[in-house]
This record gives sequence, C-alpha cells and structure tokens, in this order.
Amino acid sequence: MEDTPTSAGTAPAKAAPEARPKNNTTPRRTNVRFQAQRVPRLCPFCQQKVRTIDYKDVDLLRHYLTDHGKIKPRRRLGTCARHQRMLATAIKRARHVALLPFTMQTL
Amino acid sequence: MYELMYIARPTLDEPALAALNERVDKLIASAGGRVVKREDWGKRRLAYPIAKCTEGFYSVLHIHLPPTAVRGLERNLKLAEDVLRYLVTRIDPRLAPDSEFKQE
Repeated sequence: MEDTPTSAGTAPAKAAPEARPKNNTTPRRTNVRFQAQRVPRLCPFCQQKVRTIDYKDVDLLRHYLTDHGKIKPRRRLGTCARHQRMLATAIKRARHVALLPFTMQTL
Repeated sequence: MYELMYIARPTLDEPALAALNERVDKLIASAGGRVVKREDWGKRRLAYPIAKCTEGFYSVLHIHLPPTAVRGLERNLKLAEDVLRYLVTRIDPRLAPDSEFKQE
C-alpha cells in the first residue's frame, strides 16, 4: 500500500535495488496493491519460537500496526496463519483495555 | 488460572482506589478464588477516552478461580461504577513459564 510498486511486475527480484529479502512466491494477482510486497520467507514469530503473544506487551504490538492503527496484513509481515491469529487476538485485547487505539488520525 | 485486568476511574483518590482494589480481592475470595499475584500499574493514559476519561488506574491480577465463578465476577465488575473496563483472560498453564509480569 504505502510501498511504491516497482514497474514491470514480471521483473525478477534481482532487478529491484531494494535491500528487502527476495520474495520467492510467484505473484498470482495482477492488482497493484499486491505487487512489490517483499515478504520474508519465514514467519518472524516462528523464527523466535514464540508460543504466546501477550496483549500487555504494547511496544511489541505497536510494531504490527499501520500508521492508522490497523493490524498489518500477513502479506506485509510474512507471519504464518497461527501467529497472525495470535497477534490479532492480542491486539484486539489490548484495544479493549485501551492500551492500543482502534484508530489513529493522521491528517 | 486467569488473568484479570481492570481500569479504575482516574478521579478516585488514594483511599478510594485502595478500597476498590480491596473490594475486588474480596469479590474473588468470596467466589472461591485466590489471588496469586497482583500488580498495580498506577495511572496510565488511555489510548482512547472511555466514559469521558482519558486516564485510568490499571491493575493486573493473576487468580485461581473456579471456571463457573468467572461469569459472576465479570457481572460484579460490570456493575461497579468505578471500573471503566475489565478483561478476564485464561492463562494456559502449559505456557505459564513466560507469563511472569513485565515491569512497567
């Protein structure tokens, strides 16, 4: 979304001068929104063998919100389904007890 | 094993807050529960206003409570005027080792 899509969607990753890890999944969709999302291959939570995500850990959770306070999508984080679910639950709990905002105005 | 978090009204003074905390402890005890750990975070800014308050006193408790008593406890907290928000979550005993409290 915020990432500007690189031109020519079929160009291999080596052509892009970005430092992001190479995306090994073949792009199936042509929608610009889904293009040029360099996603890490392994879930960042799996790498650290995270078993629980605490809703009180605000500094950690903040990291996974967009500027508007939305939960970042999996295609941007590269998380596995399980950890994304845990993350979403934790963020929603934190929102309920006003540790995190539901929305942030950026005007 | 449950974790209870509640936010008390920021307009409470020192003794009123202590009285509320004691009331919650009694509520748990009378429901056949036991407070394992209690942590008061003090006054903290809310991410969004609740009942026209922008701050609140946070408290986090680890409690042993019979599962049937949870509903009653939640109802009592809901009825308490000075509790802005509460949250009861289950703590998985298998994952208990990493459930120690973070120091604010």
